[in-house]
Amino acid sequence: MAESRDDFIIAIRSAFLKKSTKQKFSLLTLVFFSIFIIVLSNFNFKAITVTKSVIKEIVYRSSFIVSIPENFIKSSYLNLTEYTNFYKEFKTTKEELDQLKSENISTKIIKSENDELKSLIDGYTITSNKILAKVIVDHKSPFLKSIIINKGSKEKIKIGTNIYDRSYLVGRVIEVNYTNSRVLLLTDLNSNIPVSITPGNVQAIIVGNGDKKGEIRYIKNDLINKIDDKGIAYTSGTGSIFKSGIPVGTVDLKDENEKILINFYSDFTQLKYVFAEIDELVPTSVKTKEDDQTKVSSDTEQIKLNLISDELQILEESNTKFLEENKELNSLTNELNKQIEILKKENDFQKNLIQQYNLDQEELEFLRLNLIYSSKCQSKKLFSTGFKVGTPEYKECIMRKGKISD
Amino acid sequence: MIRFQKKNLLYKVYTWLPILALFISVFSEFDLNYLNIDYFSFNFPYILIFYFALKAYQKFDYFLVFLAGLFNDAVVGLPLGISSLSYILICIFATYLRNITLSPNLIKDWFYFLFIISLINSINFSVLFLFFSYELDITLFIVNNFFTFLFYIIFSIFFKRYLKSLDD
Repeated sequence: MAESRDDFIIAIRSAFLKKSTKQKFSLLTLVFFSIFIIVLSNFNFKAITVTKSVIKEIVYRSSFIVSIPENFIKSSYLNLTEYTNFYKEFKTTKEELDQLKSENISTKIIKSENDELKSLIDGYTITSNKILAKVIVDHKSPFLKSIIINKGSKEKIKIGTNIYDRSYLVGRVIEVNYTNSRVLLLTDLNSNIPVSITPGNVQAIIVGNGDKKGEIRYIKNDLINKIDDKGIAYTSGTGSIFKSGIPVGTVDLKDENEKILINFYSDFTQLKYVFAEIDELVPTSVKTKEDDQTKVSSDTEQIKLNLISDELQILEESNTKFLEENKELNSLTNELNKQIEILKKENDFQKNLIQQYNLDQEELEFLRLNLIYSSKCQSKKLFSTGFKVGTPEYKECIMRKGKISD
Repeated sequence: MIRFQKKNLLYKVYTWLPILALFISVFSEFDLNYLNIDYFSFNFPYILIFYFALKAYQKFDYFLVFLAGLFNDAVVGLPLGISSLSYILICIFATYLRNITLSPNLIKDWFYFLFIISLINSINFSVLFLFFSYELDITLFIVNNFFTFLFYIIFSIFFKRYLKSLDD
C-alpha cells in the first residue's frame, strides 16, 4: 500500500517538476505562470492593458496571415457558387434597387426632419460617420461568436461602437486595440439587444442563441400573442447600447421548441467588410441659436425641396416609361386584332367547305339508295302506296330504305 | 516514404512539424466548423498536445505550448491564460500517464484522454462561467469533447507514422 502511494507521488512529482533536457521550464512553473496571467489580466493597470493590446495586435495580424490559404480556398468556393447564381441575383437586385431608390427619398425626408427636431430638443447634433472596416479574423469558435476588424482606437473606435453590414446591425465593439478591435456578433450567447417588434410595437430583448439566430427571451407574457410571424425587429435604443431604429431581423415562429426566434438580416458567416459608426456630439452654440435655427430650417426646406424634386423626376421617368409601354401594348393589340379577323375569315371558308362536302355526301347516299329502293317508293298503279318521283316524301322513303311511314 | 538528409534544413523543419501544426491550428482555429454541421467542432490542439507529450517528443517544448495557449486566447477572445493553463494541464496528465505506464496501449490512452479533456473542459467552463460571467452553451462543450475524443484515434495513426518516419 505504502509502496504504491510512493509510486504515485514519484510519478506526480516527476510530471510536475522534472524537466527533460530540452525543456526550458518545468510544467509546474508554467501552471503558476498561466494562473498568474489569468489573475493579472483581470486588473486594469495601464501596463497590463498595453501589454495585452500589443500581444493581441501581433496575434491578430499573425492570425490574418496564417489564415490566408484557408481563406483563399473558402473565398474561391464562394465565388464559384456566386457565379452560378449571378444572373438570377442580378435581376432581383435590379428590381430591389428601383424600389429602394424611391424608399430612400422618403427616408431622407424623415431623417432631415428628425435631425431638425433633435437639434431643437437637445441643443446638439450627432454627426455619425460610418467608416469601412475589413474583417481580418473571423474564426467561428464554437463557443464565442466574434470577429476582428482592422480599425481601432486610431480611428476613434470605442467600446460599444455599433457595427453594421450595409444598414443592418451586426454587433458591437467589445475590445479596442490601436489598429484593430473585436466585435461581439449578435448571435453570441452574451449578446443582448433591446428591440421593438412591429406590428404592435412590442418591446423585447433578443439574446443570441450561439448558432445563427437570435431568441426573444425577455418579454411580458401577455404580449407574446401580439407578435406575428415575419414581424420586423429593430433596435429600440433602450439602455443606449445600440442606436434606435436599426433593422435587426424578422420574427420566426416556426420553431419546434416553441421559442420565438429571430432570423437576422445579415449572414454573419459571410462578412468581409463592415461599417463602424463613429458618433460625435457637435454642440449648438447658444449665441447664434436663433440664426442657426432659421438657417437649419431653411436648409431643411431646401433639402426637402431637392428631395421632392428628385422624387418628381423619378415619377416622371417612370411615367414616360409606362407611356412607352402603353404605346407598345396598343400596337400589339391592333396587330393581334388583325390576326384574329384573318383567322375568322379562314374559319368561315373552311366551314362552307365542310357544309358543301356534307351535302354532297347526302346526295350520293340518296342516289345509291334510289337505285335499290326506287321500286318500293314509286307509285306505278292507281291504288299503290308509293310516291311521285321528285317529291320530298319520295326522297324520305328512299332514305328510310323503302319503308313507307304511316 | 519521404527520406531526408539529416542536418538538412527541410529535415529540421520536419522535426518541428508538431509545434508548427500547433501554432497554425491555433492561429487559424482549425476545427472544420466551417463545414456548417450543427454543433460540430473538435479541439485539434488538445489531441496534438496530449499525443506528443505522452510520447515525450523532444522537440515539443512546453514553453511553446504555453505560448500557443496565449495566442489561442487572443484569437478566440477568451481571457488570457485560460488555454495556456488547459494545454499545460494536458501535458502534466500525459506526462503522469507516461510515468506510470510500462507497456503503452492505444485504447487505454484513448479513454484516459477522454477523462482528461472532460476534466479540462469542465474546469474551463466553470472558470469562464463563475469568474468571468461568460454565457456558454454546455451542449457545445459536450459535443466538442465527444468529437475531440473520436478524432484522437484517427490523428494518433498519422502521428504514429510521423514519429516512425523520424526514427527511420
